[in-house]
Amino acid sequence: MTTAIDQTKMDELAEIAVEVLEIEDDEITPTSMFVEDHDADSLRAIEILARIEKKYKVDIPQAELPNMVNLQAVYEVVARYAGWQA
Amino acid sequence: MILEHAELKRILPHRHPILQIDRVVEFEPHRRIVATKAISGCEPCYADLADDADHRFPTSLLVESMGQAGGVLWLHSAALSGEPPAGTLILGSARDVTLTGAAYPGDVLRHVVELDSVKGENAFMTGETWVGERRIATVGSMLAVMRADDALTPAG
Repeated sequence: MTTAIDQTKMDELAEIAVEVLEIEDDEITPTSMFVEDHDADSLRAIEILARIEKKYKVDIPQAELPNMVNLQAVYEVVARYAGWQA
Repeated sequence: MILEHAELKRILPHRHPILQIDRVVEFEPHRRIVATKAISGCEPCYADLADDADHRFPTSLLVESMGQAGGVLWLHSAALSGEPPAGTLILGSARDVTLTGAAYPGDVLRHVVELDSVKGENAFMTGETWVGERRIATVGSMLAVMRADDALTPAG
């Protein structure tokens, strides 16, 4: 299943990820991998999750963390819990 | 609620010389803590410092000290609620650290830390450090976590 992307929200998610991962805007792509490409660890992942929850006032179970491997995947998880419609 | 040094040792795993808070002077469970640390010229960080060197308290220890105040806020609140998280306490990150002053031997640090949110074994906080009426540091976002020992493997 794929989700139609709201570019504004994707940009917001990218901004959060870039800040937490301490990388440059142009280093991240929807499919670049947080762990393999950006040296993320479990602490960075939980930070990204917490910031997303706060920004969108949504509750995302920690069990989703292993699925949130890149921006595209994060978007799909958040869209599901936040009820973003395609 | 006031917590004395010996009580802090029951809450935190840290010990001399890295136990970096002395007393908790205000405590609102799950919300806010005010903790103090007296800086002395006897601190190990000053032991080998040249006489003419800058004797400001190191930022790393200041942030560690604030983090420990946050650790007490989180862990003691959880214990009072009967839900103490298990594992090893780790300071995961401190972001948006702003220094607006310095502390020296003879000063008493006063950390004011607020619990922002708790997600499982992860606590997010914000904090300020004061010396008297001077705010010398703010931390926009601080992450403390508890991790099981078997999750803590050495870096490869």
